[in-house]
Amino acid sequence: MPSLHLHVNGRTIETDIEPQTLLVDLLRGPLALTGTHVGCDTAQCGCCTVLLDKESVKSCSILALQAQGRSVTTVEGLSRDGKLHPLQEAFIECHGLQCGFCTPGMMMAAAGLLARNPRPTEAEIVDALEGNLCRCTGYVNIVAAVQQAARKMAGAQGVEK
Amino acid sequence: MSAAVQASRFGSGQTVRRIEDPALVAGQGRFTDDLSRPGQAHLVFLRSPYAHARIVSVDAGAAREMPGVLAVITGADLVQAGVKPIAVSIPFPRPDGTPAATAPRRALAHEAVRFVGEAVAAVIAESREIATNAAEAVMVEYDELPAVVDAIRATAPGATALCPQAPDNIAAEMRHGDAKATAEAFARAAHVVSVEIHNQRLAPSPMEPRVVLAEVEASSGRLLVHISNQMPTAVRATICETLGLADENVRVLVGDVGGGFGMKGGAHPEDIAVAYAALTLKRPVKWCAQRIEEFLSASHGRDLTSRGELALDANGKVLALRVRSLANVGAYATATGVVIPLLVGPWVTTSVYDIATIDLHLTAVMSNTSTVGAYRGAGRPEAIYITERLMDAAARELKLDPAELRRRNLVRPEQMPYTNAMAQTYDSGQFERMLDQGLALSDWNGFAARRAASEQRGMLRGRGISTFLEWTGGNALTEQVTVNVLPEGIIELTSATQAMGQGIATSYAQLAVDVFGVPSESIRVLQGDTDRANGFGSAGSRSLFTGGSAVQVASERTVEHAKELAAEALEASAADIEYREGRFRVVGTDVGIGLFELAGKQADARIRADGSSTAGGPSWPNACHVCEVEIDPATGAVEIVAYASVNDIGRVVSPVIVRGQIEGGAMQGIGQALCERVVYDPESGQALTATFMDYAMPRADMFRAFKTQFDTSVPCLTNALGVKGVGELGTIGATPTVVSAVVDALASAGLGRDAERVQMPLTAQTVWRALQRDFGPSPFA
Repeated sequence: MPSLHLHVNGRTIETDIEPQTLLVDLLRGPLALTGTHVGCDTAQCGCCTVLLDKESVKSCSILALQAQGRSVTTVEGLSRDGKLHPLQEAFIECHGLQCGFCTPGMMMAAAGLLARNPRPTEAEIVDALEGNLCRCTGYVNIVAAVQQAARKMAGAQGVEK
Repeated sequence: MSAAVQASRFGSGQTVRRIEDPALVAGQGRFTDDLSRPGQAHLVFLRSPYAHARIVSVDAGAAREMPGVLAVITGADLVQAGVKPIAVSIPFPRPDGTPAATAPRRALAHEAVRFVGEAVAAVIAESREIATNAAEAVMVEYDELPAVVDAIRATAPGATALCPQAPDNIAAEMRHGDAKATAEAFARAAHVVSVEIHNQRLAPSPMEPRVVLAEVEASSGRLLVHISNQMPTAVRATICETLGLADENVRVLVGDVGGGFGMKGGAHPEDIAVAYAALTLKRPVKWCAQRIEEFLSASHGRDLTSRGELALDANGKVLALRVRSLANVGAYATATGVVIPLLVGPWVTTSVYDIATIDLHLTAVMSNTSTVGAYRGAGRPEAIYITERLMDAAARELKLDPAELRRRNLVRPEQMPYTNAMAQTYDSGQFERMLDQGLALSDWNGFAARRAASEQRGMLRGRGISTFLEWTGGNALTEQVTVNVLPEGIIELTSATQAMGQGIATSYAQLAVDVFGVPSESIRVLQGDTDRANGFGSAGSRSLFTGGSAVQVASERTVEHAKELAAEALEASAADIEYREGRFRVVGTDVGIGLFELAGKQADARIRADGSSTAGGPSWPNACHVCEVEIDPATGAVEIVAYASVNDIGRVVSPVIVRGQIEGGAMQGIGQALCERVVYDPESGQALTATFMDYAMPRADMFRAFKTQFDTSVPCLTNALGVKGVGELGTIGATPTVVSAVVDALASAGLGRDAERVQMPLTAQTVWRALQRDFGPSPFA
């Protein structure tokens, strides 16, 4: 079995792994990071979205070995020092979740967007969430939550207009 | 913050943060697939590639020999082991008077398969990969039979029959109303309009697929079934009946549920197979459905083909309503699948309108498709869709404003309580007031200018309206709640209703805060454990008005009971004890004791009380929804440009949650109107929409600018809280409202009443073809 070295939520992982193992199966299985969900089998639902370095990817669609030497952030890695990430805060405040199954993927897709575009327009948010399905909310409050988080994060960085 | 301030901030009617959310946003939810057990085996189903076939033989020999394979179970194995089919009790006869008919619905197909994707064998192995590979090594010989996938062809002479008890494929049939009086009304009517519509089949598609983890508890020998489901007690009943187990030997446990929408109401056949595997292998066994399995074998919704007719007098007053519907209930008729179109839909068919004379003729038809069950709205969307499309057709025929035609037919407030033509009694409702507010919110009278502006840009614009009500409660109107006050500062509410994402725990907590006057962080809601509570579960928008009422009663009883305990502890008379914000006090003194301290002083270290509540009837939430669309005539693409709704759901406990229910629900209704449809190939019976690439779900770009209002001035009179169910209202209203807007745009573009021939989903292709006068065949063709 090939060996794999990567960072997950800041933790260094060294493991031997079957080459066909998907990243999502590594996360949910051996690493017990069950916040990353599997909602489909065709890379359509986005529930499994994580950050690979700073880019959002569907962890059902890449092999764990493709994360070799790289840094993976899952929903469990969003909060820092026991403090919720602005996206997590905003999803709660805006009622951006109901059942919560799509939520980790939604937040990670949004985190990827905000990493490359800290002040997205509403249309850019909608575009960034096109690969993520939600059956409960109608997306209204999800988009609102991402807008609110973006405002807060931009403000925290002192670039608020 | 004082306790009083806490209560006023977090009690009913307040905008609160949901108590469910901190865990869910942190990835700390407990969905069933997040559970794993030591020694857990994995189950994979082998599914039928044919829509209809005899099973000649199943050879699992090679698969059983593969390393890591623990067992292969076939339908024949289960029959031999005495596993029974899922019991079905359908309260309607067939047209010839014989009892309702269906082929036996088994955990695994035996002797025949009746739809593509039906489970034929279960392979259990050390890993999912091994099980998947072994399933491919199971050799099944099929003798393919002709397949029929729609209700019209299934009832045509010479159609292939799914079971010998029903050579015509009719599972059951029901007539409601007075056919003779209706015929007379039609004979004297000044106007008669009709519509032919197919309310297409939908895949409920909660984002979390079905998951079951079954295990035998070592200490007790009992079967534990962890499952994502809305009705834990019903799951236990089905597993016990089919496997011959006593209720006390099975415990069903439900963690977080990633959406249900009716599909997760009770057991599916697969759940029984997983339970059987765990029992016989004495190993924990997990099955996690892949999305394709959800499209193939999770129950579907809708699929009703109807001809509706309305008779009106010269002033537009409806004289009578006649509906003929064929419901495609799938390969196996279930009580749910049949009752929804044959009884629940009829209950609301006359809706908010005063229509005394009806003739409803409804037939449940079996076909080589996945079984149809409950999906958000369950019968009411289909019925309301027929009625609202007829009201639009009548308005067009009489050249009346569609709002005005509706106004002339509304049940008036002074008619309350009003008993409709199906003997259903509405306790309350101010339907005209909802209509007026809907017109105001949508700027109804400003439409002509907006249409002109759209036309300036080369776009067609249409406006649709629905006034409607729905029935909620599932006719399971009693709930019990147990309260346990624990010394560690926790008030635990135990209920057999089931969270599935709707935020019911938060709403219950708000109601408990009202009574206890403690911070909401003190409230824990415990659900999903048949050892703790049993009941109907959550379906039919019933949880708040039944379970919430029980929360209030049980909480009040707890305080009363605790007053007596406080009197003992404080050596005072109970009559002299007052309770406020977590503390008992002897009136007029400083002598007192805290609620939680008092709990710690009890022998069993808790204060416990049960309370139950029975609603006096269903609740009848109602609304007026108005939608505007723009259509690009070059492509047929429909864009929703405005959506306004005014909703009467009685008293509102959780404002943010109910708004989310209406708007999220409306998005599901919009999905049906514009994009969703389960498609089977009419010849082969193959499923053509078995992935999210082929089944079009609404995405973030569909529509978000909902204007949503609640009129809370009309409380429900039949439950203690005055609340009405909200879970399905948005879905029921959105579909007819959006279609109505598209039809209006097309009618105004020169199609006239021909525009009414369009069938959902109104994709760009369908709309563009309609603009070229191509409406496709009649749904009855």
